[in-house]
Amino acid sequence: MEKLMAALKAQIVEQLNLQEVKPEEIGDDQPLFKDGLGLDSIDALEIIVLLQQHYGIRIANPEQGPEIFHSVRTIAEFITAHQTAK
Amino acid sequence: MYIYIQGTGCVSPQETAAGNALPAAVLPWEGPRLKAWEPDYKQWIDVKLIRRMSRVIKMGVAAAKLSLQEAGVEKPDAIITGTAYGCLDDTGVFLSKMINQQEEMLTPTAFIQSTHNTVAGQIALMLGCHGYNNTFVHKAFSFESALLDSMMILREGRLRSILTGAMDELTNHSFNILSRFDIYKKGPVTHEQLLKSDTHGTVAGEGAACFVLGTERGPNTKARLSGLTTLYKPGGKAEISADIDAFMAAHNCSQSEVSLFINGRNGDASGDEWYEHVENTIMAGKPVATFKHLCGEYPTAASFGMWMGCRILAEQQVPVAAMFKGEVPEKLEKILIYNQYKQTHHSLILLSVC
Repeated sequence: MEKLMAALKAQIVEQLNLQEVKPEEIGDDQPLFKDGLGLDSIDALEIIVLLQQHYGIRIANPEQGPEIFHSVRTIAEFITAHQTAK
Repeated sequence: MYIYIQGTGCVSPQETAAGNALPAAVLPWEGPRLKAWEPDYKQWIDVKLIRRMSRVIKMGVAAAKLSLQEAGVEKPDAIITGTAYGCLDDTGVFLSKMINQQEEMLTPTAFIQSTHNTVAGQIALMLGCHGYNNTFVHKAFSFESALLDSMMILREGRLRSILTGAMDELTNHSFNILSRFDIYKKGPVTHEQLLKSDTHGTVAGEGAACFVLGTERGPNTKARLSGLTTLYKPGGKAEISADIDAFMAAHNCSQSEVSLFINGRNGDASGDEWYEHVENTIMAGKPVATFKHLCGEYPTAASFGMWMGCRILAEQQVPVAAMFKGEVPEKLEKILIYNQYKQTHHSLILLSVC
């Protein structure tokens, strides 16, 4: 899980071009949107593409989005659950 | 109804974005390509927004912010821009991904930022400006079209201030493609040699220039925009002289009233013949200033020429770097700017002191 979260942080920083943020500065449980890292809806789309590209995961139910994308940990848990289910 | 230029802003291959003034000396360059001197954009743009912006968007937003600051306008009534190439860099990113990823899993940012009206839209978003927002993509008349639209709207009397401007960027891809059209010089050339050149081709450039236009003269007013016209493929050099004559007559300006003639000489021998003809006929004996050795050639370069003309009138001095020939008069009253792109798109802008 730790390795996956570290990889996710690096991918998020790169994909979203977060110039002022280093991957290690993102907290595992830090909210990614609004008051947390300050991401917005376009970033959410970028993360959806990131999950497809790097992990082959499609989010079937868009209503799950806020729950999955809450933090790096929730995304990592979603990826792990998806990979285990395979 | 008079139209005044209340504020100006420019990002160009010169240090024009620092202090918003035309530097006395040319920032030296060598080669067939001039790259914009970019300021620290964080002084105008939130870091959260910068991360999604390509160079042309940052240049355009910075020029817009500079002009608004100078005019003392927080939110204009309308935003009108002109661009020939649009957001080329992001267009390249999006198209490359489309090909490489077989049209699957395309990220939204590059697409959103690749449209020609992205700059005007981004400025509007940042300012919360819900007014008229338009972008003209009319090749080398893009800037002039934006300016003309602004003038027409202001003359209708419904709006008081309009942010208008033009921006174009040069990318590695566009430079390589444009080079194939044989429009740039093959050999090395410097800023000192360009205007003396008698060979074919010019140098590539880029930049963004914005202006806040209004119908009321205020304490910050820089100049008056007295006239504008465009001429597509004039029949010959005699025709351009006649057109300039008619343009000046239409704006009640005689040849003797023109204090300075600014033209778009770019070192391309055949293109510069047009300027030489005007310098030796209808503008004979007038002091001449030029600007393409400062900004390079690009379809909306006339916006840099107009920015320079505004600064000259506001500061009542012509930088040595811009002078081509003649003596500058003590008082600068009217400036005629004549620019042409590839000998097909010709434009005239008349500025008056306030």
